[in-house]
Amino acid sequence: MTDRRTLFAATSALLAAPTLMTTVAAQPAPASAPTQAPGFYRFRVGAFVATTVWDGFGRRQNPGTGWVTNADQAAVEAALRDAMLPTTHLDNPFIVTFLETPAGLVMFDSGTGNQLVPTAGLMGANLGAAGIDPARVTRILTSHFHADHITGLSTAQNVAAFPNATVFVPEVEWAFWTDATNESRVPQAQRGTFANVARRFGAYPGKVERFAAGAEILPGVRAVAAHGHTPGHTVFHVADGADQLFVTADASSRPEIFLRNPRWSSIFDIDGPAAMASRIALFGRIAAERARMTAYHFPFPANGFVQQMGDGFRFVPADWSNAV
Amino acid sequence: MLPSDRRTLFGGSATFAMALALPAAAQQAAAPATSAQAPGFYRFRVGAWTITTVHDGFFRRPVENFVRNAPLADVQAILADSFMPGDTLTIPFTITFAQRAEALVVFDAGNGVTAAGATNGRMIANMAAAGIDPARVTHVIHSHFHGDHINGLLNAENGRAFPNAEIIVPAPEWAWWSDEGNTTRSPEGQRATFANAARRFAPYQGRVRQIAPGGEVIPGVTSIAAHGHTPGHTIYRIADGNEQLIFLADTLNRPEIMARRPDWQIIFDFDGEAAAAGRRRVLDMAATDRIRVTGYHFPFPANGHFARHVSAGVQGFMFVPADWSSAV
Repeated sequence: MTDRRTLFAATSALLAAPTLMTTVAAQPAPASAPTQAPGFYRFRVGAFVATTVWDGFGRRQNPGTGWVTNADQAAVEAALRDAMLPTTHLDNPFIVTFLETPAGLVMFDSGTGNQLVPTAGLMGANLGAAGIDPARVTRILTSHFHADHITGLSTAQNVAAFPNATVFVPEVEWAFWTDATNESRVPQAQRGTFANVARRFGAYPGKVERFAAGAEILPGVRAVAAHGHTPGHTVFHVADGADQLFVTADASSRPEIFLRNPRWSSIFDIDGPAAMASRIALFGRIAAERARMTAYHFPFPANGFVQQMGDGFRFVPADWSNAV
Repeated sequence: MLPSDRRTLFGGSATFAMALALPAAAQQAAAPATSAQAPGFYRFRVGAWTITTVHDGFFRRPVENFVRNAPLADVQAILADSFMPGDTLTIPFTITFAQRAEALVVFDAGNGVTAAGATNGRMIANMAAAGIDPARVTHVIHSHFHGDHINGLLNAENGRAFPNAEIIVPAPEWAWWSDEGNTTRSPEGQRATFANAARRFAPYQGRVRQIAPGGEVIPGVTSIAAHGHTPGHTIYRIADGNEQLIFLADTLNRPEIMARRPDWQIIFDFDGEAAAAGRRRVLDMAATDRIRVTGYHFPFPANGHFARHVSAGVQGFMFVPADWSSAV
């Protein structure tokens, strides 16, 4: 049970309070139950092909309370209603971005590895549907070390799930979570992250590379510091010719809440004010440049654009097309 | 003079597809699997109904002359607000299916079999991906008779694409397009609809039921008159218990344009004034009652809600796509 305890302690309050999670997909569906389409979506960024892949979701009950730390319940529920979302529960999606490049297949964060919540762990099946073999992944670019972003690095037995990949990590994030003396500096619910980091990256001996903020990790892909959500939280800028894509990780959680209200802080933010400043700077830049973006917790297929709207921003999903 | 693409659009899918500039991506031969798109279908529930929206591809046309009562610059500004290009307009086709107990209903019939390389005509493949057998369809319920909504009634052999279905049509729509005496009273670009409708419904003789808009069509499905886009254009409410969905058909084309500016009229409207009045009324109802909707030309998966939204002093509506979920 060490593994389970580590896992649940490793995430935030969301996972630290599993009784709040429902198990929508926990029961095996009867044979006649209608099935959903495979969860992947492809689009081009210059000569690169990006694919967003659905790993599932975690459900939070009563999202008006205990999630946004600096707004009252009425304000949060009003934002949910404005977005035509329920106030009784909120599904937090997990969506992993892949990028086909001339230098190989790149993956941004690693999903839940089917080890966190019953409603997630679908990335493997969706990769199969998308024709993506995990063995083809040569680089894993990690934004930060919360469990829903790194647990998929290895199996329940802690075998590397991407056997031919080198894992790239922000050096600030690495320094923080590999120093146990920092334990007292994070909320109780996140302290399991230290052990989970040791375990997951331990499956990649000699294949973990640290990068500095601003570094070009491979041709056309650069790290952009967006600290606050965690001490070393980093997003990525992809460019080819005139096309660009920001892989924004957890700079904002669900856009209906935190993009519309970028000054709100999440219970999962380790440094709320720093996360807020990073969020406003990053999405201000994306809006100004009319750049395309993906995000880890946005509504699938989690790619689109950002527009200034009042004091905040509006997420504008990109048009879906069968022509990649 | 009407733009030639109007004529071809309503004339039939094959000529229509060939008349359009095809995007490079669609012209490439058999792409490797790793560059293929996901199957285009999406499922959700409305009470005991399982709704499936099925993508049928798209067509592209110039933005210019699409809206006929607003300056091009205004249309381009609204497009830019949704990060859409200002020169070329992509109009998707998405068909709504509803299944409950023994009933499997399809609302409109898609573009059907199209020429090789066409960007439209993906419904047949996407239905197969979704596990929907056309032989199991019990009812085809029509909003109106423009070619992109009825051409899919025929299979490649010009037989019934839905061999076991009852065909339900709005009586005023049937009356208009089955009387060639109305030809001179129809816009020139829509006159091919008379012959095309005769051809598409031909193999369904004895299986077509006309309905008067405003009543129950089959248990759980009621019709609502929304005339204007065509003389008998009709939309449908699918309900079970306290839950409901309205299939809006062509009450509005792309919501990024027509919800934001409901008073604009598009080149495909038969009676633009009536279409605009109906659009305002329906959008107002959908926003007030927070009703989930599907639309035929909405961004896939073409389901969501409308919220009131003011921009540049114009009271319009914003389309809010529904959340995608793996849990149907």
